[in-house]
Amino acid sequence: MNLATVSPLIELRSVVKVYNSLAGSVTALSGIDLQIFQGEFLVVTGKSGSGKTTLVNMLTGLDRSSSGEIWVDGEPLHKFGSEKAAKLRGRTMGVVFQTFELLPTLTVLQNVMLPMDFAWRYSRWEQRKRAMNLLEQVDIADHAKKLPTALSGGQQQRLAIARAMANDPAILVADEPTGSLDSATANAVIEIFEGLVQEGRTVFLVTHDKDIAKRGSRVITLSDGEIVGAKENVHA
Amino acid sequence: MLRARWYKVINDLFGNKTRTLLIVLSMSVGLFALGIILSARTILSDGLAESFATIHPSSGTVRTTELFDEDFIQSVRKMEEVQDVDARRNISARVQTASGEWKNITIFVVADYDDIRVNKVASQSGAWPPPEREILIERAALSVIEAQVGDVVLVRFPNDVERRVRIAGSAYDPAQLPAQIDGTPYGYITFDTLKWFGEPYGFNELHVIATHPENKDWAQQVVNRVKDKAEKSGYTIPMSMTAEPGQLPMDDVLQGILLLMGLLGVLSLFLSIFLVVNTVSALLTQQKRQIGVMKAVGGSTLQILGMYLVMVLAYGVMALLLAIPFGAYGARELSSVLAVFFNFDIYSMDIPQQTYLIQAAVGLILPVLASLVPFISSLRISAAEAMSSYTMGRGRFGKNWIDQLLSGANLWFMRNLSIRSILLSVRNTFRNKGRLTLTLVTLTLGSATFISVFNVRASLTSTVEDMIKWFNCDVMLTFDRTYRADRVEFDALSVPGVAQTDVWIQLPTRFVRSDDSESGMVYMFAPTVHAESLIVSPTIAEGRWLMPGDDNAVVVPSAFLQDEPELHLGGDMMLKLDGKKHTFKIVGTYVGMAFLPLVYTNYDYITQITNRVGEADALMVKMERHDPAYVDAATRALEDHFERIGVRVSMVSTINNERTEAEASFDAIVALLLVMAILLALVGGLGLMGTMSINVLERTREIGVLRAIGAPNRGVALVFILEGVVIGLMSWAMGGLVAIPMSQGLNQALGQAVMGVPLTYSYSMPGLWLWLFIVVLLSVLASFIPARNASSLTVREVLAYE
Repeated sequence: MNLATVSPLIELRSVVKVYNSLAGSVTALSGIDLQIFQGEFLVVTGKSGSGKTTLVNMLTGLDRSSSGEIWVDGEPLHKFGSEKAAKLRGRTMGVVFQTFELLPTLTVLQNVMLPMDFAWRYSRWEQRKRAMNLLEQVDIADHAKKLPTALSGGQQQRLAIARAMANDPAILVADEPTGSLDSATANAVIEIFEGLVQEGRTVFLVTHDKDIAKRGSRVITLSDGEIVGAKENVHA
Repeated sequence: MLRARWYKVINDLFGNKTRTLLIVLSMSVGLFALGIILSARTILSDGLAESFATIHPSSGTVRTTELFDEDFIQSVRKMEEVQDVDARRNISARVQTASGEWKNITIFVVADYDDIRVNKVASQSGAWPPPEREILIERAALSVIEAQVGDVVLVRFPNDVERRVRIAGSAYDPAQLPAQIDGTPYGYITFDTLKWFGEPYGFNELHVIATHPENKDWAQQVVNRVKDKAEKSGYTIPMSMTAEPGQLPMDDVLQGILLLMGLLGVLSLFLSIFLVVNTVSALLTQQKRQIGVMKAVGGSTLQILGMYLVMVLAYGVMALLLAIPFGAYGARELSSVLAVFFNFDIYSMDIPQQTYLIQAAVGLILPVLASLVPFISSLRISAAEAMSSYTMGRGRFGKNWIDQLLSGANLWFMRNLSIRSILLSVRNTFRNKGRLTLTLVTLTLGSATFISVFNVRASLTSTVEDMIKWFNCDVMLTFDRTYRADRVEFDALSVPGVAQTDVWIQLPTRFVRSDDSESGMVYMFAPTVHAESLIVSPTIAEGRWLMPGDDNAVVVPSAFLQDEPELHLGGDMMLKLDGKKHTFKIVGTYVGMAFLPLVYTNYDYITQITNRVGEADALMVKMERHDPAYVDAATRALEDHFERIGVRVSMVSTINNERTEAEASFDAIVALLLVMAILLALVGGLGLMGTMSINVLERTREIGVLRAIGAPNRGVALVFILEGVVIGLMSWAMGGLVAIPMSQGLNQALGQAVMGVPLTYSYSMPGLWLWLFIVVLLSVLASFIPARNASSLTVREVLAYE
C-alpha cells in the first residue's frame, strides 16, 4: 500500500496535552504529528508515563487536547464537544481498555448490545443477533447470559473486543489490552486483532510488550510525550 | 425486549439492594412526613368545619343574673335580626372527684334535649336525655372528674345543696372548651333534677344566632341588641360574648398547630430535597467510572442523563409506594389524636387528593429537578477522567486553607496519639468538599429543625411561666357577689396557713368604638396596686403595668389591639361599665391568650367610679407554704371557713392548677412537636445513615488499599466510623446555631397565631444534648455497618469493587 497517495483515516497535527495539578503543569504530549491509515495495525510503545494512554484519549475523543488538530475519518475531532465526540466514537471507533471496563450490571450479551443501543443502530432483534455473532467470533457465546464478573480475564477482554466491534467500526483502539492477561491469553487476544486487521479494519494498539509490538505493521515509540521512533514491520 | 441501557437501569436498581433501600428510605421518610402534615392539616380543618356546622353554632351568648322564662325567649326569637335563639340554665357548681378533691363544674340545664336549636349537644353514650336525678357528663370531661358512666358523684350546688347523682351517660358538646384544657368539666341535667337540688325553674343563658352569622360585626351588633333588650326588660347582664364565625373554642391553638405543621412540612420538604440531591450525587460518584465507560462506547450525555433520570424516577416511585400508605395512616392517627384532644368529631378520614399530587410531585419531579445539578456536573467531566481508576482525587485535598490547616505541622498534637486513624478520618472528611457541603447542609437542616422543635417546646413552657408568675399568690377565690374587702381579708387571715391576702374586683364591660358600636364582653380585672400587692405585672409586650397613682389607666392584651385596629398604645379606650361610658388610657399591653379579653385597671379608681368603694368579689391568698398538698389543704380549710360564715365562694383556682391547665392548653402542640421531632430525627437520621453508608460504599476500593498495606479490619472500620462522627458533630454544632433563628421564626409564627405575640424565647439544652447523642449514635451505626461489610470482603474483591 502506498501510504503517500492515500488520505489518512486518523491524523494528528501538533497535538499538545498539558495537565495541571498541585505539583504544577505536566506536558503529557508535546506536539504529536501522526497519520494512521486504513488497514494499518499501528502499535504504540513506550515506558510508563510516556504519554501512551493520553494519546489514546486524544484520538478517541475521550479527553480534549490542549492544542493541535485531530482528524478522524475526515472530521475535526479537536473541534467537537464531548457529545459530538461520543457520536463519532460510536460510529467509527471501538475502544478496548486494559481493565476491560465492562458494565458489571449488564450481562455479557447486553454489554455488547449497549453501544448499538446508544448509536440507535439496528433493530433490537438485529442488535441481539449481531451481538451473538460477535460473541461467537470471540468464542464466548456460551457465556452470553452471564454477568462479566463470572468470566475469566481473557474472556472479559474478548467480551470487551466484541463490544468494541458492536457498531462495525473502521477503527479499533486498544489501550494495553493484554496488560492484565497471561501470555497465552494475551496471544489469543492479539490474534483476534490480527484477524480484524486482515478483514480491513484499522487497529491502534498501545502496549509496552516488545513481543506484541513486533506483531504490528508499524510501531511508534513514545517518550516524554514525543514520538522518538517509528518503524515498519514486514511480516511474512 | 427492552433496550440494553434499560437493563442497566433495572439491574442497577435491583442489583444493589442495600443502596436502593437506603436511597428509597431516605426519600420516603421525607415524603412520609410531608404526607402526614398535608393530610392531617386538611382532615383536621375539614373535620373542624363540618363538626362545627352540625351543632348549629351560636353567634353569641348573653348571660343574665336574674332568671328568665320561655316568654322572654319567644320575644327574642321574634327579633328580625335574630335567626334563632335557645336558652339554658348555666350553673357553676362543684363536684367531688374519686380522689376526694372538689372541682368546679359547669352544669347546663336544658328544657328539651331532643329539641336543642342552637349549640346542639348530642348523646355520646348511655342514657339520653338525662334521666331525673341523674347527670350526663361531657365526653372530654369524664377523665377530668376521674369518673366513668355508671359512677355516682357528689355534686354541690351554689345553694350548698349536695346530692349524689349517677352519671347516666356522656354527651358531646363541641361548643365548649375541651374540659382537659380549661379544667372545667361540663354536666347536663333536666329541670326536674334542678328542682331536686332546690333550685327554681328558669334560664340564665341565651344562645343567639344572628341572621348573617358569618358576618362577625353584624353578629356582634345582634348580640348587643339582644343584651340591650334584656337590660330593658330588667335583667342584669354579667357576661355576653360573641363567637368568631365558624370557629370552635380553641380555634386559635388549633390554627397555631396547623400553622406549625405547615412550617414543619416546608422544612421536611427542603430536607427531602437535600436528601435526594445528596443521595443522587453520591450515587453518581459511585457510578462515575461506568458513566465514563458508557461515554467511551458512544453514549451521549442526553442518553446517559435519561438513564439516570429514569433511575431517580424509579427511586421516587418506590419511595412513594412506601410513603403514601404510611403517610395516610400516620395522618389519620395524628388527626384522631388531635380531634380527641380538641373534642370534635372527624366525619371523613379521606386523604385529600392534593396530598397525593404534592407527594407525587415532590417524590417524582423534585428529585429529577434536584438531580439535574449533580447529573450535569457529573456528565460534564471527560470520559477519560470519569474512567481514571482509583486516584488520590483530582487535586481535591491539600489545595485550600482548610486542607492546609488539617495537614502537617498544625496537627502536631495528634502525632503522638495512638489512634492515627483520627488524623486520617479528619482529613478524609474534607477530601470531597462538594459532598461534605451537601451532607452538612442536609444534616444541619435536620439538626436545626429537631433542636428548634425542642426550643419551641421550651419556649411554650417559658411562656406559660411568664403568664403565671405575675400571680404572686397561691389561690384565687371568686365570690358569688361583692363583699366588704376588709371583712373577707380579716376572715381569711384567721384561717391557719393563710399568710397574706389581697383583693380585686372584676366587672363585665364592653369596648365602645368611635362609631358607637360595641365590642363583645370584655372582662375588667381591677387589682389593688401597691407594694405588697399579690398581683405583680404580667409580661408586658409594650408600654407599662399599672402604678399606684393611676386613675383611668388600662392594660390590655396585645391580641385585643390586633382585633380592634382603632386602639393603640397611649390612645384612649372607651369602656361601658354598668351602662355608663368611661374613657380609659391604654398604658400598656401584655402577653396573654386571647380566648377571653381581660383588661386590667386600678382597683381604687374602679371601685370609686362604680360606687363599690371598699368592696371586693375576688380574694387572692398567699399561703405559708406553697407545695400543692399544703395549698390544697389550706384552701379546703378556707372554703369551709367561708361556708360557715356565709360567704359564698363560686370558684376556687389554685395557681398550681392554673399552671397545669395553661400547660395543658399547649399539650397538643407539645405532643405534636414531639411527634414531629421524632419524625425529623428519623428523616435526619436516615439521611445521615444513607449518606455515610454511600460514602463508605464508594470508598470500598480505598478500604482495599488500606487493607492491602496492612491495616487491620478494626483499624479500617475505625477510620470510617470516626469520619462519620466528625461529620455528625459538625452538623450538630452548625444545627445548634441555625436552630437559634429557626426557632425564633417558629416562636414568632406560633405565638402570633395563638396569642398575638411571639412566645417567650427559650433554648432547650436537653434538645441539643439529645440530638448530639442521636447524631453520634447514628454516625457510628451508619459508618460501622457498611465499613464492616466492606472489611469482610477479600482484598482482591474490594479492589475490584465497582
